Amino acid sequence: MLARAAADFYWMGRYVERAEQTARLLDYQLTRLVDTPAEELARGWSILYDIFGLAPPGLASDADEAEAFLIADAYTLAGAVVEDETRPASLVSCWGQARDNATQLRPWLPVQVWTTLNRGFLWLRDTEFAAAWAVGPATLVCEARDRLRLFGGVVDATMSRDDAWRFMQLGCFVERLQQQAVLLGTWDRSGNVSGGSPSAWWAELLRICDAYDFYCRNRSMVVRRDSALMFLVRNPELPRSLRFAVHQIGELLADIDPQGARYPLAPPHRMALHLAASVEMSPRGGEGRGDDIGDTFSTLLADSLSLHELAMATYVDYPVEEGLPA
Amino acid sequence: MSDSIRTSLDERFSEEPRAWSAGSGAFAHYDLDSGIYDEMFRPDGWPRESSRLLGAALARASSEDLAALQDGVARRFLHEGITFTVLGRRELSEQIIPIDCVPRVLTAEEWDHIDRGLRQRLTALNLFLADIYNDGRSLRDGIVPEDLVLGCPQYRVEMRGVEVPHGAYVSICGTDVVRTADGFAVLEDNLRVPSGVSYMLACRTAMKQAFPLLYRAHGVREIARYPEHLYSTLASLGSWGSSPRVAVLTPGRYNSAYYEHAFLAGEMGATLCEGRDLVVHDAVLYVRTVSGLKRIDVVYRRIDDDFLDPVTFRADSVLGVPGLFGAYRAGNVVIANAPGTGVADDKAVYAFVPAIIRYFLDEEPILANVETHMCREPEGLAYTLEHIEELVVKEVGGSGGYGMLVGSQASAAERDEFVRRLRADPANYISQPVLPLSRAGCFVDGRLEPRHVDLRPFVLRGRDRIEIAPGGLCRVALRKGGLVVNSSQGGGCKDLWVLREREEPN
Repeated sequence: MLARAAADFYWMGRYVERAEQTARLLDYQLTRLVDTPAEELARGWSILYDIFGLAPPGLASDADEAEAFLIADAYTLAGAVVEDETRPASLVSCWGQARDNATQLRPWLPVQVWTTLNRGFLWLRDTEFAAAWAVGPATLVCEARDRLRLFGGVVDATMSRDDAWRFMQLGCFVERLQQQAVLLGTWDRSGNVSGGSPSAWWAELLRICDAYDFYCRNRSMVVRRDSALMFLVRNPELPRSLRFAVHQIGELLADIDPQGARYPLAPPHRMALHLAASVEMSPRGGEGRGDDIGDTFSTLLADSLSLHELAMATYVDYPVEEGLPA
Repeated sequence: MSDSIRTSLDERFSEEPRAWSAGSGAFAHYDLDSGIYDEMFRPDGWPRESSRLLGAALARASSEDLAALQDGVARRFLHEGITFTVLGRRELSEQIIPIDCVPRVLTAEEWDHIDRGLRQRLTALNLFLADIYNDGRSLRDGIVPEDLVLGCPQYRVEMRGVEVPHGAYVSICGTDVVRTADGFAVLEDNLRVPSGVSYMLACRTAMKQAFPLLYRAHGVREIARYPEHLYSTLASLGSWGSSPRVAVLTPGRYNSAYYEHAFLAGEMGATLCEGRDLVVHDAVLYVRTVSGLKRIDVVYRRIDDDFLDPVTFRADSVLGVPGLFGAYRAGNVVIANAPGTGVADDKAVYAFVPAIIRYFLDEEPILANVETHMCREPEGLAYTLEHIEELVVKEVGGSGGYGMLVGSQASAAERDEFVRRLRADPANYISQPVLPLSRAGCFVDGRLEPRHVDLRPFVLRGRDRIEIAPGGLCRVALRKGGLVVNSSQGGGCKDLWVLREREEPN
């Protein structure tokens, strides 16, 4: 596997996953527009923008951010997350970046994968957000999610399970791990301050993570903070749990250099094992207490950033002397 | 295109053909010109035998059907990203090449003539290149002026005395062939990094899907094995085992032909590399993989000589690989085409190709050259200046439709500018008569009309054999009356059907 191509596969996986996360969060917020009080909506936008690391559009330097979300209209706030190419988490930006990576990968990509991604890109590029908003913004986001799911299905059905696929999946799960750590940390910090049911607040988080039904079947319909967070951290069967992502990362890295030809245990793989241990062991004191779980999310995020750096240094940007045949 | 449209179009081809002719029915807007060869119709307006079935089907089809078919092909190209990049226009960076849905048909006899001519030409040009980089016998014998060759910017002194495996200086060649009322002629040889073969294959795939029954009924020769032949050609140039590691060296995704580089690498199972992916260590070329550095045996380079190696050629090149030429000279890697082949497709050297064929092969050229006036010579310059309105003036090193003037279609100001340039640097120009390129039937703006076409077949020369795909990139000047067929200048392309054995379809 060409090193640069591996990096492109990795980034393509990251951007597609990031687009999926953006669409999912946007979908959640847009479906609440109809019957949610303005203050709660503003708070929703605030959390969403916080997760994306964005400032609200048109925010003056001395303005109060919370008030800005209250004043700004939903059309502007949603539009910035959908079609603003300058925002790294916007749908247009993610899709465009993923397609840029895919363009570099044409010889390695099944034509169906390229075509599905390209058709999605062309659809989004040619969509007029104003017209789509008039029809109903949720429709646009739903279609984006459908197209991303289709892409995932085509990848699953057509790509060989070789290093190309592994690096793409690695990118996907590293991105998921980071995004989920940020989402859980942000949600936990925001807390339930609206005076509504605490159970409903944490149930919303589970719904955003496509985990609510699964949680109810396994735990209870009454959702508590500690239980919900631990479920989203540790459940091994939930695709959006941190444990699931870390496990996948470890498996993928083990297969990328199965004979240990270059390293007995490659540095990123070592970091993946460390991450797995962190997820297993956290929060300190075990399930039920959850006092330190906020720290856990920031630690996991920092470690996943290190894992990214290590993967690039080990497989892509290594010094020539290290790469020469023995 | 919906299946129902395709089925209804295609099934009509199995119906008994009715009489049809230029200037009537669906071909009401198809005007013939007595001075221009028409690929579909005879001068009397009746169809050529080879186009009988095709034309009959077109005559029955509605313009809506054809428009839907054309749209379907264009949409497929768009979705699959079969695109090219227009130089210097970032806002238009990715465009699909316009496809005309009406194939051009050549008989087996016509193709046989072209095929023999191309083999002869490439054989002679390889011998010429071997000679000018070694003994220089042809230069001493005055076959080609020595100063013309040695002074050509594409002549690489670094190649003098380099042992080129099997004498294959040019392994991949795309020769532009045109037809006039006098027959086929070579307009130019592309011996450096000829492009367009991916569009040839894409057009064929699209047409086979659009016209499956008609395609089968015509008995069209296959071109699908081109990538396999390309790989065999490249692999045969080395002295390694049966599976040498081949890399396609591309300038990157912003190059106008990037789609083609990616396509060919994918089809051949080769590694698509940019210069930054390759490294030379101890005169051996390696590629960076996730498992460390792996040796590369053959480089199919799609970048110009100047940018191949900043150590040997342009020092400011960031596209190439430092030390690549050293590895090549040491015999540790094969580069195809070899550096320095551009001297043989220089537009001034072109005029001497018939003499080169006679000298090296002792044969008469099978394919004619176009009459060429050398502006480096006083009489050639005088003739060009005097007849500039009737001539095409070209820079000797130009390509892609750039650096040329079609006198009859240029404004007075444009002609004046070229006159100034000619006087300032006459050796940089040649001129040729405006050729009445043959015309083929096209579906343009909802009507069947003739448009000028050329043809670029692709010739492969490996260790000991030449392979030519029976077909080529058939380029079309889509603008009515236009003669420039380059995609970068608004041209399109269409499929070329070379029939098996006889012109009579099944």
